[in-house]
Amino acid sequence: MSVDKNSFENNIERLQRIVEQLESGEPALEKGVDLYKEGMALAAACRKQLDKARLTVNKVTPEGVVPFTPGDGEEN
Amino acid sequence: MQHIFRVAEITRALKDVVEGQFPFVWVKGQVSNLARPASGHVYFSLKDEEALLNVVWFKGSQRGVALGEAERYDPLTGEVLEGDGGSGWLADGMEVLCAGRLTVYAPRGAYQLVAEYVQDMGLGKLALEFEALKRKLQEAGYFAQERKRPLPHNPVRVAVVTAATGAAIQDFLRVGSARGTGCEIRIHPVLVQGEAAPGQIGAALDAAGSDGWAQVTVLIRGGGSLEDLWAFNTEPVAHAVYRSPIPVLCGVGHEVDVTIADLVADVRAATPSHAAQVLWPERAVLAQRADELETALTRAFGRRLQAAGDRLGTLEKALAWLSPRGRVERMGEKLDDLSMRLLRAGAGLPLRRGEALDGLERRLWAFGAPRLAGFEGRLESLRQRLAAVGQRSLERADSRLTLLEAHLRGLDPELPLERGYSLVRRADGSFLRSTADAHPGDALEIRVRDGSVAARVTGVHRREP
Repeated sequence: MSVDKNSFENNIERLQRIVEQLESGEPALEKGVDLYKEGMALAAACRKQLDKARLTVNKVTPEGVVPFTPGDGEEN
Repeated sequence: MQHIFRVAEITRALKDVVEGQFPFVWVKGQVSNLARPASGHVYFSLKDEEALLNVVWFKGSQRGVALGEAERYDPLTGEVLEGDGGSGWLADGMEVLCAGRLTVYAPRGAYQLVAEYVQDMGLGKLALEFEALKRKLQEAGYFAQERKRPLPHNPVRVAVVTAATGAAIQDFLRVGSARGTGCEIRIHPVLVQGEAAPGQIGAALDAAGSDGWAQVTVLIRGGGSLEDLWAFNTEPVAHAVYRSPIPVLCGVGHEVDVTIADLVADVRAATPSHAAQVLWPERAVLAQRADELETALTRAFGRRLQAAGDRLGTLEKALAWLSPRGRVERMGEKLDDLSMRLLRAGAGLPLRRGEALDGLERRLWAFGAPRLAGFEGRLESLRQRLAAVGQRSLERADSRLTLLEAHLRGLDPELPLERGYSLVRRADGSFLRSTADAHPGDALEIRVRDGSVAARVTGVHRREP
Protein backbone atom coordinates (compact mmCIF):
# COMPACT_ATOMS: atom_id res chain seq x y z
CA MET A 1 0.00 0.00 0.00
CA SER A 2 2.96 2.30 0.24
CA VAL A 3 3.55 4.12 -2.98
CA ASP A 4 7.06 4.23 -4.39
CA LYS A 5 7.92 7.75 -3.39
CA ASN A 6 7.85 10.10 -6.34
CA SER A 7 9.03 7.42 -8.72
CA PHE A 8 7.04 9.08 -11.48
CA GLU A 9 8.82 12.34 -10.81
CA ASN A 10 12.18 10.59 -10.67
CA ASN A 11 11.50 8.82 -13.93
CA ILE A 12 10.43 12.01 -15.63
CA GLU A 13 13.51 13.81 -14.34
CA ARG A 14 15.83 11.05 -15.52
CA LEU A 15 14.08 11.04 -18.89
CA GLN A 16 14.54 14.79 -19.13
CA ARG A 17 18.26 14.44 -18.47
CA ILE A 18 18.59 11.69 -21.10
CA VAL A 19 16.88 13.85 -23.71
CA GLU A 20 19.19 16.74 -22.86
CA GLN A 21 22.22 14.48 -23.14
CA LEU A 22 21.15 13.14 -26.52
CA GLU A 23 20.28 16.61 -27.75
CA SER A 24 23.73 17.85 -26.78
CA GLY A 25 25.01 15.22 -29.26
CA GLU A 26 27.76 14.33 -26.86
CA PRO A 27 27.51 10.63 -26.16
CA ALA A 28 29.12 8.14 -28.47
CA LEU A 29 26.68 6.20 -30.61
CA GLU A 30 26.77 3.03 -28.51
CA LYS A 31 26.17 5.08 -25.37
CA GLY A 32 23.43 6.94 -27.26
CA VAL A 33 21.68 3.67 -28.09
CA ASP A 34 21.80 2.68 -24.43
CA LEU A 35 20.41 6.05 -23.38
CA TYR A 36 17.66 5.80 -25.98
CA LYS A 37 16.65 2.36 -24.75
CA GLU A 38 16.64 3.55 -21.15
CA GLY A 39 14.63 6.64 -22.09
CA MET A 40 11.99 4.63 -23.96
CA ALA A 41 11.69 2.29 -20.99
CA LEU A 42 11.28 5.27 -18.66
CA ALA A 43 8.58 6.80 -20.87
CA ALA A 44 6.73 3.49 -20.93
CA ALA A 45 7.06 3.19 -17.15
CA CYS A 46 5.69 6.71 -16.70
CA ARG A 47 2.72 5.99 -18.92
CA LYS A 48 2.04 2.75 -17.07
CA GLN A 49 2.21 4.56 -13.76
CA LEU A 50 -0.31 7.11 -14.97
CA ASP A 51 -2.61 4.37 -16.25
CA LYS A 52 -2.48 2.64 -12.89
CA ALA A 53 -2.66 5.80 -10.81
CA ARG A 54 -5.49 5.64 -8.27
CA LEU A 55 -6.45 7.30 -5.06
CA THR A 56 -6.36 4.91 -2.13
CA VAL A 57 -8.70 6.31 0.47
CA ASN A 58 -8.57 5.22 4.11
CA LYS A 59 -10.08 6.54 7.29
CA VAL A 60 -8.29 7.05 10.58
CA THR A 61 -10.41 5.66 13.43
CA PRO A 62 -9.66 4.90 17.06
CA GLU A 63 -9.38 1.25 15.94
CA GLY A 64 -6.78 2.13 13.32
CA VAL A 65 -6.64 2.92 9.62
CA VAL A 66 -9.54 1.31 7.74
CA PRO A 67 -10.70 1.58 4.14
CA PHE A 68 -12.97 4.54 3.58
CA THR A 69 -16.30 4.08 1.89
CA PRO A 70 -17.99 7.31 0.91
CA GLY A 71 -21.17 7.85 2.92
CA ASP A 72 -20.34 5.42 5.71
CA GLY A 73 -19.51 8.06 8.25
CA GLU A 74 -21.77 8.82 11.14
CA GLU A 75 -20.52 12.37 11.54
CA ASN A 76 -22.02 15.40 9.95
CA MET B 1 -15.44 89.36 34.24
CA GLN B 2 -16.46 86.48 32.09
CA HIS B 3 -14.25 85.68 29.12
CA ILE B 4 -16.04 86.45 25.90
CA PHE B 5 -15.26 83.76 23.28
CA ARG B 6 -15.12 84.35 19.65
CA VAL B 7 -17.06 81.69 17.70
CA ALA B 8 -13.96 80.11 16.32
CA GLU B 9 -12.42 80.12 19.74
CA ILE B 10 -15.28 78.37 21.49
CA THR B 11 -15.63 75.96 18.62
CA ARG B 12 -11.96 75.10 18.81
CA ALA B 13 -12.26 74.61 22.57
CA LEU B 14 -15.25 72.36 22.09
CA LYS B 15 -13.39 70.45 19.40
CA ASP B 16 -10.50 69.89 21.80
CA VAL B 17 -12.86 68.61 24.48
CA VAL B 18 -14.85 66.36 22.18
CA GLU B 19 -11.90 64.89 20.28
CA GLY B 20 -9.84 64.58 23.45
CA GLN B 21 -12.61 62.90 25.39
CA PHE B 22 -13.82 60.55 22.62
CA PRO B 23 -10.81 59.62 20.48
CA PHE B 24 -12.46 56.37 19.36
CA VAL B 25 -16.01 55.23 20.00
CA TRP B 26 -18.38 52.47 19.00
CA VAL B 27 -21.93 53.63 18.28
CA LYS B 28 -24.88 51.58 17.16
CA GLY B 29 -28.06 52.85 15.63
CA GLN B 30 -30.35 52.89 12.66
CA VAL B 31 -29.23 54.39 9.36
CA SER B 32 -31.20 57.33 7.97
CA ASN B 33 -30.66 60.23 5.58
CA LEU B 34 -28.19 58.11 3.63
CA ALA B 35 -26.46 60.17 0.94
CA ARG B 36 -23.87 59.04 -1.58
CA PRO B 37 -22.35 61.96 -3.47
CA ALA B 38 -20.08 61.36 -6.44
CA SER B 39 -17.02 61.81 -4.22
CA GLY B 40 -17.52 58.25 -2.97
CA HIS B 41 -17.78 59.41 0.64
CA VAL B 42 -20.97 58.29 2.40
CA TYR B 43 -23.00 60.55 4.68
CA PHE B 44 -25.79 59.33 6.92
CA SER B 45 -27.35 59.75 10.34
CA LEU B 46 -27.46 57.22 13.12
CA LYS B 47 -30.56 57.50 15.15
CA ASP B 48 -32.49 55.77 17.89
CA GLU B 49 -35.69 56.67 19.65
CA GLU B 50 -34.24 59.76 21.25
CA ALA B 51 -31.31 61.12 19.33
CA LEU B 52 -29.49 61.51 16.07
CA LEU B 53 -25.78 61.51 15.23
CA ASN B 54 -24.35 62.60 11.89
CA VAL B 55 -21.83 60.22 10.41
CA VAL B 56 -19.38 60.67 7.58
CA TRP B 57 -17.74 57.55 6.17
CA PHE B 58 -14.88 58.57 3.95
CA LYS B 59 -14.15 56.55 0.89
CA GLY B 60 -10.69 55.61 2.17
CA SER B 61 -12.22 53.89 5.19
CA GLN B 62 -14.81 51.88 3.32
CA ARG B 63 -13.09 48.54 3.49
CA GLY B 64 -12.15 45.89 5.94
CA VAL B 65 -14.94 44.23 7.83
CA ALA B 66 -17.76 45.01 5.46
CA LEU B 67 -18.57 41.32 5.44
CA GLY B 68 -21.79 41.79 3.53
CA GLU B 69 -19.58 42.54 0.55
CA ALA B 70 -17.40 40.11 -1.25
CA GLU B 71 -13.94 40.38 0.13
CA ARG B 72 -11.32 39.74 -2.45
CA TYR B 73 -8.45 37.35 -2.02
CA ASP B 74 -5.58 36.01 -4.00
CA PRO B 75 -6.68 32.47 -4.91
CA LEU B 76 -3.07 31.27 -4.96
CA THR B 77 -1.86 32.60 -1.63
CA GLY B 78 -5.17 33.00 0.13
CA GLU B 79 -4.10 36.48 1.08
CA VAL B 80 -6.99 38.85 1.54
CA LEU B 81 -6.50 41.86 -0.66
CA GLU B 82 -6.90 45.19 1.07
CA GLY B 83 -9.02 47.34 -1.15
CA ASP B 84 -12.31 49.00 -1.57
CA GLY B 85 -14.71 46.73 0.27
CA GLY B 86 -17.41 49.11 -0.75
CA SER B 87 -20.34 50.61 1.06
CA GLY B 88 -22.97 49.51 -1.39
CA TRP B 89 -24.62 47.22 1.13
CA LEU B 90 -25.50 50.12 3.39
CA ALA B 91 -29.15 51.19 3.28
CA ASP B 92 -31.56 53.40 5.19
CA GLY B 93 -33.25 51.60 8.04
CA MET B 94 -30.38 49.20 8.61
CA GLU B 95 -29.14 48.60 12.13
CA VAL B 96 -25.42 49.18 12.05
CA LEU B 97 -22.48 49.43 14.35
CA CYS B 98 -20.07 52.27 13.66
CA ALA B 99 -16.61 52.79 15.01
CA GLY B 100 -14.64 56.01 14.66
CA ARG B 101 -13.69 59.41 16.01
CA LEU B 102 -16.03 62.11 17.20
CA THR B 103 -15.11 65.42 15.67
CA VAL B 104 -16.44 68.94 15.44
CA TYR B 105 -17.00 70.40 12.00
CA ALA B 106 -16.40 74.08 12.64
CA PRO B 107 -17.85 75.63 9.43
CA ARG B 108 -21.27 74.31 10.31
CA GLY B 109 -21.02 74.21 14.05
CA ALA B 110 -21.83 70.56 14.02
CA TYR B 111 -20.28 67.55 15.60
CA GLN B 112 -20.14 64.25 13.76
CA LEU B 113 -18.73 60.77 13.82
CA VAL B 114 -15.97 60.09 11.31
CA ALA B 115 -16.51 56.38 10.83
CA GLU B 116 -13.57 54.00 10.40
CA TYR B 117 -15.75 50.87 10.37
CA VAL B 118 -19.39 50.38 9.63
CA GLN B 119 -20.89 46.93 10.17
CA ASP B 120 -24.20 45.31 9.74
CA MET B 121 -25.36 44.55 13.29
CA GLY B 122 -26.64 41.18 12.14
CA LEU B 123 -23.08 40.12 11.50
CA GLY B 124 -21.57 42.47 13.91
CA LYS B 125 -20.79 40.22 16.83
CA LEU B 126 -19.15 37.44 14.88
CA ALA B 127 -17.43 39.96 12.67
CA LEU B 128 -15.99 41.70 15.65
CA GLU B 129 -14.74 38.46 17.07
CA PHE B 130 -13.31 37.60 13.69
CA GLU B 131 -11.57 40.94 13.45
CA ALA B 132 -10.30 40.73 16.99
CA LEU B 133 -8.85 37.27 16.48
CA LYS B 134 -7.50 38.20 13.08
CA ARG B 135 -5.72 41.22 14.51
CA LYS B 136 -4.37 39.23 17.42
CA LEU B 137 -3.03 36.45 15.22
CA GLN B 138 -1.72 38.95 12.71
CA GLU B 139 0.28 40.61 15.45
CA ALA B 140 1.50 37.21 16.62
CA GLY B 141 2.83 36.60 13.09
CA TYR B 142 0.42 33.77 12.27
CA PHE B 143 -0.24 35.07 8.75
CA ALA B 144 3.35 36.05 7.94
CA GLN B 145 4.25 35.27 4.34
CA GLU B 146 7.74 34.17 5.28
CA ARG B 147 6.47 31.28 7.38
CA LYS B 148 4.31 29.89 4.59
CA ARG B 149 5.71 26.56 3.43
CA PRO B 150 5.36 25.33 -0.14
CA LEU B 151 3.21 22.25 -0.66
CA PRO B 152 5.04 19.06 -1.62
CA HIS B 153 4.88 18.58 -5.38
CA ASN B 154 2.49 15.80 -6.41
CA PRO B 155 2.22 14.31 -2.90
CA VAL B 156 1.55 10.58 -2.47
CA ARG B 157 0.57 10.56 1.22
CA VAL B 158 -2.08 13.07 2.18
CA ALA B 159 -4.00 13.51 5.43
CA VAL B 160 -7.43 15.07 5.12
CA VAL B 161 -9.20 16.61 8.10
CA THR B 162 -12.88 16.99 7.30
CA ALA B 163 -16.33 15.53 7.83
CA ALA B 164 -16.52 11.93 6.61
CA THR B 165 -19.82 12.68 4.94
CA GLY B 166 -20.86 15.63 2.92
CA ALA B 167 -19.95 17.41 -0.25
CA ALA B 168 -16.47 18.52 0.73
CA ILE B 169 -14.78 15.11 0.84
CA GLN B 170 -16.78 13.93 -2.20
CA ASP B 171 -15.72 16.94 -4.26
CA PHE B 172 -12.15 16.60 -3.11
CA LEU B 173 -11.94 12.89 -3.99
CA ARG B 174 -13.77 13.31 -7.29
CA VAL B 175 -11.42 16.01 -8.53
CA GLY B 176 -8.39 14.28 -7.03
CA SER B 177 -9.12 10.97 -8.76
CA ALA B 178 -8.18 12.48 -12.15
CA ARG B 179 -4.99 13.99 -10.88
CA GLY B 180 -1.56 13.01 -9.62
CA THR B 181 0.23 9.69 -10.07
CA GLY B 182 -1.53 7.70 -7.41
CA CYS B 183 -1.89 8.78 -3.81
CA GLU B 184 -2.95 7.36 -0.49
CA ILE B 185 -5.35 9.51 1.46
CA ARG B 186 -6.09 9.18 5.16
CA ILE B 187 -9.22 10.91 6.24
CA HIS B 188 -9.38 12.15 9.82
CA PRO B 189 -13.13 12.43 10.36
CA VAL B 190 -14.20 15.40 12.49
CA LEU B 191 -17.24 17.45 13.23
CA VAL B 192 -16.93 20.62 11.22
CA GLN B 193 -19.55 22.66 13.05
CA GLY B 194 -20.96 22.93 16.52
CA GLU B 195 -19.46 23.25 19.95
CA ALA B 196 -17.16 20.25 19.66
CA ALA B 197 -15.88 21.08 16.20
CA PRO B 198 -12.91 23.36 17.06
CA GLY B 199 -11.47 20.86 19.54
CA GLN B 200 -11.90 17.91 17.16
CA ILE B 201 -10.42 19.77 14.23
CA GLY B 202 -7.46 20.89 16.32
CA ALA B 203 -6.83 17.36 17.63
CA ALA B 204 -7.12 15.86 14.15
CA LEU B 205 -4.67 18.40 12.74
CA ASP B 206 -2.24 17.52 15.51
CA ALA B 207 -2.67 13.80 14.89
CA ALA B 208 -2.26 14.15 11.12
CA GLY B 209 0.89 16.20 11.51
CA SER B 210 2.55 14.25 14.28
CA ASP B 211 2.39 10.62 13.11
CA GLY B 212 5.08 11.28 10.49
CA TRP B 213 3.12 9.61 7.74
CA ALA B 214 1.56 12.40 5.72
CA GLN B 215 3.42 14.87 3.53
CA VAL B 216 0.67 17.46 3.80
CA THR B 217 -2.56 18.01 5.70
CA VAL B 218 -5.65 19.16 3.87
CA LEU B 219 -8.33 20.94 5.91
CA ILE B 220 -11.60 21.23 4.00
CA ARG B 221 -15.23 21.97 4.57
CA GLY B 222 -18.13 22.68 2.25
CA GLY B 223 -19.88 26.01 2.00
CA GLY B 224 -22.23 27.35 4.65
CA SER B 225 -23.25 30.43 6.52
CA LEU B 226 -20.79 32.44 8.54
CA GLU B 227 -22.05 30.64 11.63
CA ASP B 228 -21.64 27.25 9.93
CA LEU B 229 -18.03 28.02 9.13
CA TRP B 230 -17.37 29.44 12.54
CA ALA B 231 -15.25 26.56 13.83
CA PHE B 232 -12.60 27.59 11.30
CA ASN B 233 -12.47 31.05 12.86
CA THR B 234 -11.60 29.80 16.33
CA GLU B 235 -8.34 29.87 18.19
CA PRO B 236 -7.94 26.11 18.75
CA VAL B 237 -8.06 25.55 14.98
CA ALA B 238 -5.81 28.52 14.25
CA HIS B 239 -3.22 27.30 16.75
CA ALA B 240 -3.35 23.74 15.44
CA VAL B 241 -2.82 24.93 11.87
CA TYR B 242 -0.03 27.19 13.05
CA ARG B 243 1.88 24.46 14.86
CA SER B 244 1.43 21.77 12.21
CA PRO B 245 4.86 20.30 11.44
CA ILE B 246 3.80 19.65 7.85
CA PRO B 247 2.27 22.12 5.38
CA VAL B 248 -1.47 22.71 5.71
CA LEU B 249 -3.68 23.32 2.70
CA CYS B 250 -6.99 24.88 3.69
CA GLY B 251 -10.10 25.02 1.53
CA VAL B 252 -13.16 26.06 3.47
CA GLY B 253 -16.54 27.11 2.12
CA HIS B 254 -17.08 28.91 -1.14
CA GLU B 255 -14.75 31.24 -2.97
CA VAL B 256 -15.94 34.26 -0.99
CA ASP B 257 -15.42 32.72 2.42
CA VAL B 258 -12.14 33.50 4.08
CA THR B 259 -11.64 32.00 7.50
CA ILE B 260 -8.91 32.43 10.07
CA ALA B 261 -7.81 28.89 9.26
CA ASP B 262 -7.43 29.94 5.60
CA LEU B 263 -5.24 32.83 6.65
CA VAL B 264 -3.00 30.74 8.91
CA ALA B 265 -2.70 27.84 6.47
CA ASP B 266 0.40 27.59 4.33
CA VAL B 267 -1.72 27.60 1.21
CA ARG B 268 -5.33 28.61 0.79
CA ALA B 269 -7.60 26.94 -1.73
CA ALA B 270 -10.91 28.56 -2.55
CA THR B 271 -12.97 25.38 -2.19
CA PRO B 272 -12.45 21.66 -1.44
CA SER B 273 -12.39 20.93 -5.21
CA HIS B 274 -9.83 23.65 -5.67
CA ALA B 275 -7.76 22.09 -2.90
CA ALA B 276 -7.47 18.90 -4.97
CA GLN B 277 -6.50 20.97 -7.98
CA VAL B 278 -3.84 22.80 -6.00
CA LEU B 279 -2.49 19.59 -4.54
CA TRP B 280 -1.94 17.41 -7.61
CA PRO B 281 -1.09 18.14 -11.21
CA GLU B 282 -3.65 17.03 -13.75
CA ARG B 283 -2.91 13.50 -14.94
CA ALA B 284 -3.47 14.46 -18.55
CA VAL B 285 -0.79 17.13 -18.17
CA LEU B 286 1.60 14.59 -16.69
CA ALA B 287 0.84 12.22 -19.54
CA GLN B 288 1.47 15.00 -22.01
CA ARG B 289 4.79 15.74 -20.36
CA ALA B 290 5.80 12.09 -20.65
CA ASP B 291 4.69 12.04 -24.30
CA GLU B 292 6.59 15.22 -25.07
CA LEU B 293 9.73 13.86 -23.50
CA GLU B 294 9.36 10.62 -25.43
CA THR B 295 8.95 12.54 -28.68
CA ALA B 296 11.96 14.68 -27.85
CA LEU B 297 13.91 11.52 -27.03
CA THR B 298 13.03 9.87 -30.34
CA ARG B 299 13.84 13.04 -32.24
CA ALA B 300 17.17 13.53 -30.48
CA PHE B 301 18.12 9.90 -31.03
CA GLY B 302 17.01 10.12 -34.65
CA ARG B 303 19.24 13.13 -35.18
CA ARG B 304 22.08 11.31 -33.48
CA LEU B 305 21.60 8.31 -35.81
CA GLN B 306 21.23 10.59 -38.82
CA ALA B 307 24.49 12.33 -37.96
CA ALA B 308 26.26 8.98 -37.60
CA GLY B 309 24.70 7.77 -40.87
CA ASP B 310 25.74 10.91 -42.69
CA ARG B 311 29.29 10.54 -41.47
CA LEU B 312 29.36 6.91 -42.55
CA GLY B 313 28.01 7.90 -45.97
CA THR B 314 30.65 10.58 -46.38
CA LEU B 315 33.41 8.17 -45.45
CA GLU B 316 32.04 5.54 -47.81
CA LYS B 317 32.00 7.98 -50.68
CA ALA B 318 35.50 9.14 -49.85
CA LEU B 319 36.67 5.54 -49.76
CA ALA B 320 35.05 4.75 -53.09
CA TRP B 321 36.56 7.86 -54.61
CA LEU B 322 40.00 6.99 -53.35
CA SER B 323 39.89 3.32 -54.40
CA PRO B 324 42.19 2.35 -57.34
CA ARG B 325 39.34 0.69 -59.13
CA GLY B 326 37.27 3.87 -59.04
CA ARG B 327 40.18 5.87 -60.34
CA VAL B 328 40.79 3.50 -63.21
CA GLU B 329 37.09 3.56 -64.12
CA ARG B 330 36.91 7.33 -64.00
CA MET B 331 40.07 7.68 -66.04
CA GLY B 332 38.81 5.16 -68.54
CA GLU B 333 35.59 7.09 -68.95
CA LYS B 334 37.45 10.35 -69.40
CA LEU B 335 39.75 8.77 -71.88
CA ASP B 336 36.88 7.36 -73.91
CA ASP B 337 35.14 10.68 -73.85
CA LEU B 338 38.20 12.59 -74.91
CA SER B 339 39.03 10.10 -77.64
CA MET B 340 35.51 10.32 -79.06
CA ARG B 341 35.59 14.08 -79.07
CA LEU B 342 39.02 14.12 -80.59
CA LEU B 343 37.87 11.82 -83.38
CA ARG B 344 34.72 13.84 -84.04
CA ALA B 345 36.65 17.06 -84.05
CA GLY B 346 39.29 15.56 -86.34
CA ALA B 347 36.74 14.20 -88.81
CA GLY B 348 35.27 17.64 -89.32
CA LEU B 349 38.59 19.40 -89.63
CA PRO B 350 39.04 19.54 -93.44
CA LEU B 351 35.59 21.08 -93.88
CA ARG B 352 36.11 23.89 -91.42
CA ARG B 353 37.40 27.32 -92.12
CA GLY B 354 40.54 28.41 -90.32
CA GLU B 355 38.74 30.62 -87.82
CA ALA B 356 36.24 28.01 -86.75
CA LEU B 357 39.03 25.53 -86.63
CA ASP B 358 41.04 27.77 -84.34
CA GLY B 359 38.07 28.23 -82.04
CA LEU B 360 37.40 24.56 -81.97
CA GLU B 361 41.00 23.86 -81.37
CA ARG B 362 41.06 26.29 -78.49
CA ARG B 363 37.95 24.77 -77.00
CA LEU B 364 39.27 21.36 -77.54
CA TRP B 365 42.49 22.24 -75.81
CA ALA B 366 40.72 24.18 -73.13
CA PHE B 367 38.67 21.14 -72.38
CA GLY B 368 41.14 18.44 -73.12
CA ALA B 369 44.52 19.83 -72.23
CA PRO B 370 44.14 20.04 -68.50
CA ARG B 371 42.41 16.73 -68.38
CA LEU B 372 44.78 15.14 -70.83
CA ALA B 373 47.72 16.38 -68.85
CA GLY B 374 46.35 14.63 -65.82
CA PHE B 375 45.94 11.37 -67.60
CA GLU B 376 49.21 11.19 -69.47
CA GLY B 377 50.60 8.64 -67.14
CA ARG B 378 47.50 6.50 -67.37
CA LEU B 379 47.44 6.90 -71.14
CA GLU B 380 51.04 5.84 -71.34
CA SER B 381 50.28 2.77 -69.29
CA LEU B 382 47.34 1.92 -71.46
CA ARG B 383 49.42 2.54 -74.52
CA GLN B 384 51.99 0.13 -73.24
CA ARG B 385 49.32 -2.42 -72.46
CA LEU B 386 47.87 -1.91 -75.89
CA ALA B 387 51.31 -2.31 -77.47
CA ALA B 388 51.90 -5.44 -75.49
CA VAL B 389 48.56 -6.81 -76.53
CA GLY B 390 49.26 -5.81 -80.15
CA GLN B 391 52.64 -7.43 -80.05
CA ARG B 392 51.20 -10.67 -78.84
CA SER B 393 48.45 -10.52 -81.43
CA LEU B 394 50.99 -9.90 -84.19
CA GLU B 395 53.07 -12.81 -83.09
CA ARG B 396 50.10 -15.07 -83.03
CA ALA B 397 49.04 -13.84 -86.47
CA ASP B 398 52.55 -14.36 -87.78
CA SER B 399 52.81 -17.97 -86.83
CA ARG B 400 49.35 -18.59 -88.14
CA LEU B 401 50.31 -16.93 -91.39
CA THR B 402 53.36 -19.16 -91.70
CA LEU B 403 51.15 -22.17 -91.22
CA LEU B 404 48.67 -20.96 -93.75
CA GLU B 405 51.49 -20.22 -96.20
CA ALA B 406 52.73 -23.77 -95.90
CA HIS B 407 49.26 -25.05 -96.36
CA LEU B 408 48.70 -22.76 -99.29
CA ARG B 409 51.98 -23.67 -100.80
CA GLY B 410 50.82 -27.29 -100.81
CA LEU B 411 47.89 -26.23 -102.89
CA ASP B 412 50.02 -24.51 -105.56
CA PRO B 413 49.37 -26.24 -108.94
CA GLU B 414 52.80 -25.20 -110.20
CA LEU B 415 54.58 -27.01 -107.43
CA PRO B 416 54.16 -30.63 -108.80
CA LEU B 417 55.67 -29.44 -112.09
CA GLU B 418 58.95 -28.90 -110.27
CA ARG B 419 58.84 -32.46 -109.19
CA GLY B 420 58.38 -33.73 -112.82
CA TYR B 421 54.60 -33.80 -113.11
CA SER B 422 52.88 -32.05 -115.98
CA LEU B 423 49.57 -30.27 -116.36
CA VAL B 424 47.36 -30.94 -119.42
CA ARG B 425 44.75 -28.46 -120.65
CA ARG B 426 42.31 -28.67 -123.44
CA ALA B 427 41.85 -26.14 -126.22
CA ASP B 428 39.19 -24.31 -124.12
CA GLY B 429 41.67 -23.94 -121.23
CA SER B 430 40.05 -26.44 -118.90
CA PHE B 431 42.21 -29.07 -117.24
CA LEU B 432 42.04 -32.55 -118.66
CA ARG B 433 40.78 -34.66 -115.73
CA SER B 434 39.23 -37.74 -117.40
CA THR B 435 39.48 -40.00 -120.47
CA ALA B 436 35.96 -38.88 -121.20
CA ASP B 437 37.25 -35.36 -121.91
CA ALA B 438 39.74 -36.56 -124.54
CA HIS B 439 38.88 -37.48 -128.07
CA PRO B 440 41.35 -38.52 -130.75
CA GLY B 441 42.47 -35.48 -132.72
CA ASP B 442 41.82 -32.98 -129.85
CA ALA B 443 44.55 -30.36 -129.43
CA LEU B 444 46.11 -30.32 -125.93
CA GLU B 445 48.60 -28.06 -124.15
CA ILE B 446 50.97 -29.83 -121.76
CA ARG B 447 52.57 -27.59 -119.14
CA VAL B 448 55.89 -28.70 -117.71
CA ARG B 449 58.38 -27.10 -115.36
CA ASP B 450 60.05 -24.87 -117.86
CA GLY B 451 57.32 -24.25 -120.45
CA SER B 452 54.62 -25.95 -122.46
CA VAL B 453 54.33 -28.53 -125.22
CA ALA B 454 51.59 -28.53 -127.92
CA ALA B 455 50.19 -32.08 -128.49
CA ARG B 456 47.32 -33.94 -130.14
CA VAL B 457 45.26 -36.92 -128.85
CA THR B 458 46.06 -40.08 -130.81
CA GLY B 459 44.13 -42.57 -128.79
CA VAL B 460 42.12 -42.98 -125.58
CA HIS B 461 42.45 -45.94 -123.24
CA ARG B 462 39.90 -46.07 -120.53
CA ARG B 463 40.87 -48.06 -117.49
CA GLU B 464 38.17 -50.47 -116.62
CA PRO B 465 36.64 -49.69 -113.24
